[in-house]
Amino acid sequence: MPSRKSIRTTSRTLAAAALLFLTPHATAQIASTPVAPPQVPLCTACHGANGNSQIPLTPSLAGQPKVFIENQLVLIREGLRDIPQMKGLLDTLKDPELVALATYFSAQAPAKPAASINREVFDRGRVLAGKMLCGSCHLPDYSGRQQMPRLAGQNEAFLAYSMKQFRDHAGLGRDTVMSASLYGLKDNDLADLAHFLANFK
Amino acid sequence: MSTRIALCGALIAASVCQVMAQTAAPPPAWQQGRSAEQASSTLAPVAGKLTATPASELPIDKLKMPPGFKAELWSHGTPGVRAMARGDSGKLYVGTRAMGRVYEISDNGKERTSRVVVDKLNQPAVTMHKGSLYVMAIDKVLRYDGIEQNPNVAPVDLTAKFNLPPEQHHNWKYIRFGPDGKLYVPFGAPCNICALPTQEYAQLRRYDADGSNMEVIARGIRNTMGFDWHPTTKEIWFTDHGRDWMGDDSPEDELNRITKVGLNFGFPHCHANGIADPDVKKDNACDGVTLPVRTMGAHSSSMGLHFYTGNMFPAEYKNAMFIARKGSWNRTKKLGYDVVTVRTDSNGGNAQMTPFLTGFLDEKTDAFYGRPAYITQMPDGALLVSDEQMGAIYRISYAKP
Repeated sequence: MPSRKSIRTTSRTLAAAALLFLTPHATAQIASTPVAPPQVPLCTACHGANGNSQIPLTPSLAGQPKVFIENQLVLIREGLRDIPQMKGLLDTLKDPELVALATYFSAQAPAKPAASINREVFDRGRVLAGKMLCGSCHLPDYSGRQQMPRLAGQNEAFLAYSMKQFRDHAGLGRDTVMSASLYGLKDNDLADLAHFLANFK
Repeated sequence: MSTRIALCGALIAASVCQVMAQTAAPPPAWQQGRSAEQASSTLAPVAGKLTATPASELPIDKLKMPPGFKAELWSHGTPGVRAMARGDSGKLYVGTRAMGRVYEISDNGKERTSRVVVDKLNQPAVTMHKGSLYVMAIDKVLRYDGIEQNPNVAPVDLTAKFNLPPEQHHNWKYIRFGPDGKLYVPFGAPCNICALPTQEYAQLRRYDADGSNMEVIARGIRNTMGFDWHPTTKEIWFTDHGRDWMGDDSPEDELNRITKVGLNFGFPHCHANGIADPDVKKDNACDGVTLPVRTMGAHSSSMGLHFYTGNMFPAEYKNAMFIARKGSWNRTKKLGYDVVTVRTDSNGGNAQMTPFLTGFLDEKTDAFYGRPAYITQMPDGALLVSDEQMGAIYRISYAKP
């Protein structure tokens, strides 16, 4: 038999839930498992079912912030961010189609990391991520927001590759803030960070 | 050495890139200058929007102005629009940053259409001079002669003549030809706060139109993204962005006036109305520094500056400055997101700042609906205001109420 306290909590939770259902925002969220746009199979061929990639150097898209996906799709279409595997793929897509893809993949649940954790490397990465203040922009749970990507659960090899790109190629389509953020880090530091972030739950 | 310097560009944090030691790598630039309380801050730059915004999502109905003024949508569907330059035949050229595009907007009197003149550039800015469109990116300078008549004209590449320094951060441009026929170009500080890695940054230069005869006309300018010449004195006035991570209210952005060549405006040692920098320290930090005509609000991102010379607006606006404040990110409550007017004596005395175009920011919820960035004047005296966030341009006109 539940205690009085827990009953009270439960009813309050229920009331709060009911209230949530009544707000337009909540309605939008509930109705918002977006229908997959027609281009999705083309994306998931490499980026994996629901945008959870199984290919080490191909990033997962599931649960990435919508603005981040939108902006990257534009940069790739415009040829500003050069990804050989994607060259030409987005040429015919108009902005509303990119927005629809971003909406779809941002609403997919990111898969839980399954790789085995090397505790020593993970801890080194955790300490370094704290020191580097990664959570300022990417948020303390590394879920990302707006133009700043989700790092938690991203493919480890891709994270390491991407950070090297930022560190070594501050150029067209690269974010000057991110390049500056990785200043002075060595390859093994980036590997530690990648292992920690990829396995962060 | 150059890679090290390249990594000194932290917009997001107080990066004190002290003069780089030749051997030992300094600690990561990113976290320096941020106090312990700020370590857990989640303030971050506002996301730019690179996709086109439908007209129905533009904030035109929210905008507020003094009585008699009206805002209407002039053009939209051009993501990232920043500074505008109008050609003699009426075409409007507009630069961008992340989009990498230069747009041409044509007006048939009823509606506007746009095309992309050039793309894939590294943060291109534009200006018009004697019928030619000048485009300056961080690493490239192009001139399109007679482009209004000949839309397919091939550009002349002037890059080599301008000797552009390699740093990216804060080196996106705002460019204008002055009354002296020279091209004025800012070179921002490649960091939030740092001792300059080399001396070609944090300065305003002017060049002959072909890139020759470069002259540094002012130093100590962190990041000016807007300037104009006073209609009668012909002196150049400019806005300058203050540094980040010194708290919500300090240091404020600046409005400055250049009375002669060679002035020092303070960066990195002295900010706003004489605030010594806590990270890049120097005795008597503000000695010899020209202080601003007035301050413009902390982190407000004061951008385009335009002296009004038209006849459409009431007489009190003649020679007044319109300044677009794109709006803050390094502040717990947003500030700016508006266009203000500043009226001063021609020597900078009695500077009064008044809100002019507001409604982009909901102060109660801290939500924003657009980011006004630049202002240009039409022949009839109306103003065009670009909204970088929404990729739209609004026309501001006046009729006696």
